[in-house]
Amino acid sequence: MIRCSLLAASVLCIGGCMEVEQVSNAQKQAGQTVRRDTNPWSNEPLANGPKWSKGDRTSWEEQIKKRQLAQHEHRRIYE
Amino acid sequence: MHTLSRMTGWLVLTFAFALPVGAQQTPAQKDLAKDQQQRTVNQPGNNSEVWRDVRSGQPNNTTVPGRETGVLVQAQARFPGQENMTTAGEAWRKFRNGPVTFYGGWLVILMCAIIGAIYYTRGPIKLHDKPTGRVIDRFSLAERWAHWVMGISFCVLSVSGLIILFGKHVLLPVLGYTLFAWLTALGKNLHNFVAPLFIVSLLVFIVMYLKDNLPEKGDATWLANGWKFFYGVHLSSGRFNAGEKVWFWVGVVVLCLIVSVSGLILLFPNFDQLRSTMQQASVVHAIAAILVIGFAIGHIYMGTIGVEGAYGNMRDGVTDETWAKEHHDMWYDDVKSGGAGVTTAAKSGAAPQTLH
Amino acid sequence: MARMKFLCDAERCIECNGCVTACKNENEVPWGVNRRRVVTINDGVIGAEKSISVACMHCSDAPCMAVCPVDCFYKTADGVVLHDKDLCIGCGYCFYACPFGAPQFPQAGAFGLRGKMDKCTFCAGGPEEDKSEAEFKKYGRNRLAEGKLPACAEMCSTKALLGGDGDVIADIYRERVARRGSKGAEAWGWGSAYGQPPKGAAPAAPAGGKS
Ligand code: HEM
Ligand code: SF4
Ligand code: SF4
Repeated sequence: MIRCSLLAASVLCIGGCMEVEQVSNAQKQAGQTVRRDTNPWSNEPLANGPKWSKGDRTSWEEQIKKRQLAQHEHRRIYE
Repeated sequence: MHTLSRMTGWLVLTFAFALPVGAQQTPAQKDLAKDQQQRTVNQPGNNSEVWRDVRSGQPNNTTVPGRETGVLVQAQARFPGQENMTTAGEAWRKFRNGPVTFYGGWLVILMCAIIGAIYYTRGPIKLHDKPTGRVIDRFSLAERWAHWVMGISFCVLSVSGLIILFGKHVLLPVLGYTLFAWLTALGKNLHNFVAPLFIVSLLVFIVMYLKDNLPEKGDATWLANGWKFFYGVHLSSGRFNAGEKVWFWVGVVVLCLIVSVSGLILLFPNFDQLRSTMQQASVVHAIAAILVIGFAIGHIYMGTIGVEGAYGNMRDGVTDETWAKEHHDMWYDDVKSGGAGVTTAAKSGAAPQTLH
Repeated sequence: MARMKFLCDAERCIECNGCVTACKNENEVPWGVNRRRVVTINDGVIGAEKSISVACMHCSDAPCMAVCPVDCFYKTADGVVLHDKDLCIGCGYCFYACPFGAPQFPQAGAFGLRGKMDKCTFCAGGPEEDKSEAEFKKYGRNRLAEGKLPACAEMCSTKALLGGDGDVIADIYRERVARRGSKGAEAWGWGSAYGQPPKGAAPAAPAGGKS
């Protein structure tokens, strides 16, 4: 009984000492249910929406950054 | 008595210390608005007074209803041991996830280790003489109910509370996210709904057990020599010895009341308490809870496997005369003589009974 | 690599609450919950009035993430802080910890018992399948999966609210501040949310940014 609680307690201590490091799901995925989420670029673009090639992060980011320039006051609407 | 008051003093200090240092007094917002008007004329585009106002954490105008929605960013604060001011939320996070979790975890482990060491080196405290077979009443039915309702709800609260504080580090890796979240949700609801029961039983318990826990002559000697207990030396004591009295006053009365009050602040967020209030209540709650859990581990040990016969006393309400004579001689004498200081329960039980 | 951030330009925000409305509409946020809010400082004081629109800033070292007892938060590859409502126990700790008051709680029972936490998702949904019915119900629209940016920032009429990759925001803002004569350079909230930039990276905050 005591031995068990001692064991449980030491496990408790080892864990209690740290704060889980915050990493993006790209780095930490396997077996961690909560961190499983599809990356936006893994989706098929909408038929009439912005275009990128599915699964290609770079092309998705390029179009996002281009789209973002619409927030620049010298370009009123997205071109 | 001296030791008692000194201990209470330390506790109060600990909690005073646990509270964060608030932001420095900020000038009234009206003055800041006036200064900003002036600055806009002199240095257009410089909004430093506006930013000072924002940093102060004072509420401003917003159309969105809700708690502290007018506050853009939490005020600066610093919890004990922190060098720099940060937003109160960040400071609370560092304090809770830092020292509270770290030292709190160690305290629980240390307590278990001490108890384990005592058990293995000294073993349980046994009676010296043979039981007589004659028993006397020790706890009335009401006293036992008060004790067990409080004790069991305490254990439920302790376990669920520990899961909320440490479960992420200890249980989550073992159970996985889904199961652990289910368990913690259960724990949280148990914690929230058992708490009121605990508070009521705590108050009843304190009233019932107060009289026999008042300090009396001999307590000081007991406190100074209490450790000899583990070497089979029994010091003279009344119905409760000084060690039990320390547990009663420091553990049950002071710490459990602190836990209850701080818990109630967290329990009812519908009164629109400020976040800073809840941060402070939360760390006070966690620190007091860990301390009282440490105490309780000791108490539960003594009440079950540590002292032969103790558990039966609280379960059945009666104790063997030998046990009474060896552990609480002054109380035993009182009961036997039917004299002053005898509880009603003990009086009615003065006539010998047989243990079932 | 994109790192999603928000920035609100206090020189431009006119407290129209368009972003608040856009967010509510786009995500069909439950009653009593507002993921975004506009706060006005020195309301009605001529020459001193400034407004800021604020929601979750998607912090680099997020306090909410650190205190959650069930560890239900996660950070996406582009720096968006999301959470899993199936795991959330509604303890409110993330609300205590968040500098910006972003986490919100629908009331789920008597005595102010908290429901599952809800907050700005940077229009990136949650762990459910992207663009699914379940994801929309729990978290709202997943605009990033559609190749779009948060609705609030995309429709801001004065372009006060900028949302998207942090470097692009910084470029836009730097140019804007330069054009108005280095005035109103404060990148409010960036210090608390994004801290110091990693070594060798582009500066986290545009010129003059602190707080
Ligand atoms: C007396 C009545 C009590 C009330 C009203 C109360 C209430 C609360 C509340 C509202 C929380 C916040 C967590 C949540 O909502 O999920 C909490 C946390 C906690 N409680 Fe209690 N509680 C009580 C008694 C106790 C007792 C007796 C213990 C253990 C001895 C305890 C240990 C804890 C711990 C360790 C936490 C976690 C603190 C943290 O994570 O920082 N509580 N309590
Ligand atoms: S702004 Fe608040 S809710 Fe958003 S990531 Fe930072 S701490 Fe979390
Ligand atoms: S309310 Fe939910 S998301 Fe927030 S800290 Fe608690 S469990 Fe985590």
